[in-house]
Amino acid sequence: MSSPLILLPGDEVPTDYLPSNGSAPLRLGPGLRLLSQAHPTPASTSKHVLTATQAGILSTDNKRNAVSILSSSNRRYIPTPNDLVIAQVHHSSVDYFYCMITPQSPHAVLGQLSFEGATKKTRPMLRGGDLVYARVLSTGLGAGAEVELACVNLATGKSEPGGLGPLNGGMVFDISTGMAARLIRASSASAEQQQVAGLVVLDELGKKLEKAGGFEIAVGRNGKVWVDCSNSEDHAVRTTVAIGRCLTTIDEHNLNPTDQRKLVTRVLREMKIES
Amino acid sequence: MASSAAVSTAPPALSLPPSQFARLQPHAYLLAHLSPPASSQQPSIRANGRAPSQFRVTSTNTGSLTHTNGSSVVRLGDTTAVCGIKAEILHTEDIASWSVSHSSSSSTPNKRRKLTNPTEKPGEDRQDGSDEVEDDDSYIEDFSLLVPNLSLSTGCAPGFIPGAPPSALAQSLSHRVLSLLHSSRLVRSEDLEIWYQRPNLGPEELERHNEDEQMDVDVEQDGSGSVGETREIKAFWVLYIDIMIISLAGNPFDAAWTAVLAALRDTKLPRAWWHADNETVICSDLVSEARRLSLRGLPVASSFRVFEADAASGWRAVIVPDAEEERKIAESDRKGIQRRWVLADPDGYEEGLAQERVCLVIDKDQRQNGKVVIVKMEKNGGFAVDRKELKELVAVSAQRWEEINKILGQC
Amino acid sequence: MGGPTASLHPLSRADGSASYRCPATGSNVLGSVNAPIELPGRRDALKPEDATIEVFVKPGTAPGGVGERHIEGILRDALSRIILGREKGYPRRGVVITLAIVGGDSIGRGASYLPILPALLHTSILALLSASVPLSMSISATILAVDSSGKIIREPSSADAAATASLHVLAFTSKGHLLLNESEGAFNFDTWERVYERALTICHGTSALGSDGDVAMTETVDSQPLEGLVRDTVEDRIHVEYAWKIDAA
Repeated sequence: MSSPLILLPGDEVPTDYLPSNGSAPLRLGPGLRLLSQAHPTPASTSKHVLTATQAGILSTDNKRNAVSILSSSNRRYIPTPNDLVIAQVHHSSVDYFYCMITPQSPHAVLGQLSFEGATKKTRPMLRGGDLVYARVLSTGLGAGAEVELACVNLATGKSEPGGLGPLNGGMVFDISTGMAARLIRASSASAEQQQVAGLVVLDELGKKLEKAGGFEIAVGRNGKVWVDCSNSEDHAVRTTVAIGRCLTTIDEHNLNPTDQRKLVTRVLREMKIES
Repeated sequence: MASSAAVSTAPPALSLPPSQFARLQPHAYLLAHLSPPASSQQPSIRANGRAPSQFRVTSTNTGSLTHTNGSSVVRLGDTTAVCGIKAEILHTEDIASWSVSHSSSSSTPNKRRKLTNPTEKPGEDRQDGSDEVEDDDSYIEDFSLLVPNLSLSTGCAPGFIPGAPPSALAQSLSHRVLSLLHSSRLVRSEDLEIWYQRPNLGPEELERHNEDEQMDVDVEQDGSGSVGETREIKAFWVLYIDIMIISLAGNPFDAAWTAVLAALRDTKLPRAWWHADNETVICSDLVSEARRLSLRGLPVASSFRVFEADAASGWRAVIVPDAEEERKIAESDRKGIQRRWVLADPDGYEEGLAQERVCLVIDKDQRQNGKVVIVKMEKNGGFAVDRKELKELVAVSAQRWEEINKILGQC
Repeated sequence: MGGPTASLHPLSRADGSASYRCPATGSNVLGSVNAPIELPGRRDALKPEDATIEVFVKPGTAPGGVGERHIEGILRDALSRIILGREKGYPRRGVVITLAIVGGDSIGRGASYLPILPALLHTSILALLSASVPLSMSISATILAVDSSGKIIREPSSADAAATASLHVLAFTSKGHLLLNESEGAFNFDTWERVYERALTICHGTSALGSDGDVAMTETVDSQPLEGLVRDTVEDRIHVEYAWKIDAA
C-alpha cells in the first residue's frame, strides 16, 4: 500500500490509487461519487471521474474491488443494515420494544418475537433501560422512516452471529464510532489483521485477565461497548471499570500499540488487579 | 404565449394547457421558452414574455399619503411597494450618549467649516459642493436617525398568513435597506439637525436669529472665532421609513428600494428651531418654509437571477469544471445542460427556479459625465456569474439607472 | 499578529464542529453542524428531493436583530450550493448549522456584517467537513478593504474597515469559482477587478491546478493561502485520528 491519500470534497481520486482488478466492477463506498464529464477534453480519455464528497483517507480493498473514504471517526452513528448495535430499551408496546441507538435519533423498533426461540410465551420480558445486542434489519427510506432491529436471523431462527439478544449485567462505555469499527475488526479478525486495525488492547487484556476469569465484550457500531466480568467474582466491578478505562483512554488519545500495552499494565496495576 | 409551440409536439391526448405545464414542470417550462427548438425560428424569451435583460414596467406615484412627510407607491410589474416617511423630533437631551459624543463632535472642525461656507446656500446646489469636504454622517448611524421597517403584508403572496411574526425575508430586506442607506450615505446628516443659535449680541438678536437660516450664516461670518460655542444641535429629525409590500411577485428589494428613493425625494421637513424660553423645538407651519432633503446621488438597485439548465437533470451529477477551464468555454459553445441565462428583474415564478442571485446598486456621478459608481454589489449562490458576467451586468444596470432616473424625474 | 487559526471538533456532542479565529479582523467564531437530522413538521413545504439547510447566527454580546437574518440568508445561499443535499440519507432531512460569534467587536444595528462574514464561512465549511456532510467542493473566503487612495488592505481591523471607501468579501470554491461576492461602499469596476485578483491570490495562492487534481500550493507574499489553511486543518485532524492506520501502512 502506498502512502495514505487524504482527500477533501471536490478532489479527484487519482486512477493509480484505484484497485486494478480488471473485469470486476468497482464498488463505491461512502464519501465518493461518480461524475460524468460534460466537456470531454482531448487530454482526459475517461468519460467519468471519481471525486470525494467527504474529507478523509482513501481506503481501497483489492479483494472486494472496493474503494471508500474513511472520514472523521467522531461522527454520529447512522444506522445501516447489518450493523451490530447495542441498543437500550426505552419502552415497549404489544408488538415492539422501542430502543435508543443514539440519544439524538428517533427510537428504533425491535419486534417482541425477534429473539432466538421466542414465542408469545417465551419472549424476553425487557424493561426500560435494559440493553440488547441487535442487528440493524432495515433503515427504511426517507425522513421519518423507522429503523428496525432484530436479534435473530429471520431465515434460520438462530441468533447469528452468536451473542445477539439481551445483555445482562456488565456495563456500557461510550467510544467513538471509528473506535467501535476498529474494535469489531480487531475482535473478529485473525492476528495479522489486528495489526491493520492497530489495536492490541483486547489481546493484552485477554492475556492478563485470563487467570482472573476472563471477560466478555460486545461492541456496537453505534459507539458503545459492553463489558462483563461476572466470572472474576470479587473483582468483577473493578475489572469491568479497568477495561472500560483502557478502551476509552485509547480512543481519546489515539494510542499506538506500544502505548496501549503500557496503558493496560498501568491501569491494571493502579486498580490493584493481579494478573 | 410562446409556450404552445413548446408543448405542441406531444400527442393531443397528452397535451396540457400551458398554465398546467407551468405548474407541473416549472423548470422544463421556463427552459422550453428560453431554448426554443432551432426549427421554430422563435427568439429565446422568458415565460413572462420578456427578454432576459428586460425589466418589468415600472411606475411610481409620490405624495399620495397625506399624513406623512413623504410617500411613494412603486409598481414593478405585479410587485407593489408602498413607502411612507414620517419625521419625528429627537431631543439631544433624550440621547443617552449625546453629552459624550457631542464633546468629541465639536472638535471636528470640518463640519462647522462646511456650514459656515458662505458660498453655499442651504438646500440647494449642494450637489456640486459636497465633494470638497468629506461630510461627517456618523450622527445618522450613531443615533439611528433612519429607521426603515419593511413588512410583507398578509396576502401579498400565498403563504403570508395573518398574525405571523415578520418572516426572515422581511427582516433581511429591512436590514438590506438600512445598510444601503448607511453605506450609500444617501441622506445628509445636516438635513436632520435642528440647531440653536445662542444669542450673544443682545435682546434684538434673540428675535432675529430665528427668522431666517440665512441669518445664521451671516452672523457666523461676522463672529468668526467665538461662533463655535454659540451654535449647538438641540435636536434631530428621525425619519421612520415604513415600507409595505402589498403585492409580492418577485424582486422585492428593487421595488422596496425604489420606493424608499422616491419617498425620500418627496420628503419635506418643516423648518424647525429651538425655542430657548419654552425649552422646546418649534416647527413652522408654513408650507413655503418646509424644505426637501438634499440627497446624495441616486443609487438605483437592479437584481438578477441566473437560471441554469441543469437543475432539473441534477440526479446525474456532472463535473464542475475548474474556473480556469470554464472561462475558456464560449457562451455559444455551451450546449444542453451547460447553458444558463441571466434574468433581470425576476418575477416570483423565476425566483423559485433560479438559485444564484446578483444585486447591483449603482449610481452615476453627475459631476464626472455620468461615470458609473458601484455602491453595492452582491452575488451569491452559484458559479455562473464571474468577472466577465458581472461587467456585463454593470452595463445593464447602468441602463436601468437611466430608466429609473427618468421615471423618478417625472413624479 | 499571525494568520488565522482553526481547529476541528472542539464540541463533543455535535455531529461536527469547528472554531475559527482571525486575529487581523478580530473575529472568533465557534460553529456546530448537526446533519442529517429529522426536522419537525412542515415537510410538505420542502423540496422532497433535497436536504433543508438551516443556518443560525448568534451574536456574542449584542442582542439578536434583523442583521443576523440577513447574514443567515447569505450563508444559506452560499452553502446550499456546495452541500450535496441529494446524497443518500439527506433528502427531506435537515442540515443545521449554528454559528456563535465568540469574540470580536459587536455589530450594531444596521452596521455591516461583512467583517465577520469570512470567519463565518470558514467556520461553517470546517464544521461541515468535520460532520462528514457530503460536499461538492470546499470554499475559502477573505475580506478586503479599499481606502480612498485606492490601496487594498487585506483583512482590515474593524476600525480600518469603518474608515475605508469600500469593503469586499469574496469567497472562492476550491476550483476557483467566485461563489460569493458582497461589496459595499463606492467603487468602480476596475477597482473591483484588482480586489478580485488579490482575493484570488489570498485564497488560492498563485498556484495552478495540476492535471491530477492535486493543488500545488505556492507560498505567496500574503503567506499561506487560505485554501491551504482549510486543507491543513482537516489533514492534521485526520492524521491524528488515523495515526494507527497511517503508521501501519
